[in-house]
Amino acid sequence: MAARRVAVTGLGVVSPLGMGEAGFFESLQAGRSGVRRLDAPFSERLSTRIGAPVDFDGAAHFAPPRLRMLDRVSQFALVAARQAVDGAGLDAFDKARERAGVFLGTGMGGAQTTDDGYRALYEQGAARLPPFSVLMAMNHAAAAWIGIDYGLQGPNLTYSTACSSSAVAIGEAWRRIRSGEMDVMLAGGSEAPLNLGTLKAWEALKTLASEDADDPSSSCKPFALNRSGMVLGEGAAVLVLEEWEHAQRRGARIRGELIGYGLSTDSSHMTHPTVEGQARAMALALEAAGIGASAIHYINAHGTGTAANDATETKAIRQVFAAHADQVPVSSTKSMHGHLLGAAGAVELVATLLALERGTLPPTINLRMADPACDLDYLSDGARKVSGAGVAMSNAFAFGGTNAVLVCQSADAARTA
Amino acid sequence: MSTPTTEGQTFAVVRELIAKDHAIAPETLTPETPLQSLEIDSLALIELIFTLEERFDVVADKVPDDLPTLGSVADYIDGLVAARMAAPGDATPAA
Repeated sequence: MAARRVAVTGLGVVSPLGMGEAGFFESLQAGRSGVRRLDAPFSERLSTRIGAPVDFDGAAHFAPPRLRMLDRVSQFALVAARQAVDGAGLDAFDKARERAGVFLGTGMGGAQTTDDGYRALYEQGAARLPPFSVLMAMNHAAAAWIGIDYGLQGPNLTYSTACSSSAVAIGEAWRRIRSGEMDVMLAGGSEAPLNLGTLKAWEALKTLASEDADDPSSSCKPFALNRSGMVLGEGAAVLVLEEWEHAQRRGARIRGELIGYGLSTDSSHMTHPTVEGQARAMALALEAAGIGASAIHYINAHGTGTAANDATETKAIRQVFAAHADQVPVSSTKSMHGHLLGAAGAVELVATLLALERGTLPPTINLRMADPACDLDYLSDGARKVSGAGVAMSNAFAFGGTNAVLVCQSADAARTA
Repeated sequence: MSTPTTEGQTFAVVRELIAKDHAIAPETLTPETPLQSLEIDSLALIELIFTLEERFDVVADKVPDDLPTLGSVADYIDGLVAARMAAPGDATPAA
């Protein structure tokens, strides 16, 4: 059987730049930052007080009995899934529940519940924990809830490969549809790491950006000479992936097509990335898409803002794109929404698809001091209007060394393909 | 000092908790109201019992599976309270 095509028919996003694709992209386009000083009471105990929180009230989305069963990470995922399913106009799951599934990525899972539980036990001397602690903290809770809400009986899997988790989830979902096993997949990722325990653990690793003295919101500076690390963010994104004919038959609005996925592992160091590993994932994604590097019009970089990643990724792009590297615009939207860890790949794929759909490439903000080791076109002067940008790449790399790269094209490009 | 309980008072607590949670008028709930009609499934029942354990200072080893109504939940808690008060050596010294 020839490989089937995979349409994207729904986009849901809960981000530090807003809820829903419209607000999210408007902020990206305007170069607005979601990074700020955290105002949680515990933030006084942090040596790095910045983060990219989501302005989110769970009570606005869930009734109290339900809310008490949902860690923040699941709340984000369920809201993003609802947006995606509603946007896709999908109410026909009844017919094909067994051929529809959920693949999500998360790095830390229900970290808030774990943190709350430990505080209750060790700090407050609690004799017992709330009854749903296990169901809230388990890493696949978010995916399980989505499956239950929509009655999806196909595979329900959660991938955890740190910062590439949701890119892996989306890529693996793409493979299931392409191979003919599934017709519809809800795929994406969710992360809610802005609690004291998780933030202190990240602080200890010394990879977080220091606060910009003049403007905390510009603390994340990917590809800049004065970059000092990543800024942790929270949020979720869920996409509806659908077999092309399935989407067309029901008259769905096709938002783009996922055409390639490349996966590689550095297998060399827990945190230090390799040019070879990243380049291989990019090359494999291009190969799967059946296109050459010169067909790519935009790269949404992993671009964490750490010294190691940004220089390594730049070299890897140069290696894969050769002479075309100087022609292809690259940006790190993490400069605005922060690093959403297990949700990063999904949130950034949404940004990439919207960039193609709207013909506007989002910028890398806070890049004013050029680094000789980072010498590509990073869209540092602001968003760029482009015509005919049809194909793009989204990179997601990770601690542990799992590199995942996704290639997508706009609906217009897909129709003429 | 133990909380004085009667069947009526325990049910009143159950009613208050459920009414608040479901944003419904307490008067609509009776001891005969089935848990099913309130969409209180096995997990929600675990949580309800958990809350009542704290409120009445009792411990349920397991959540019984034969509690079909709000009244039966209240009766079950009353049974635990009675057992605790009857247990030897559990007389709480007055502060």
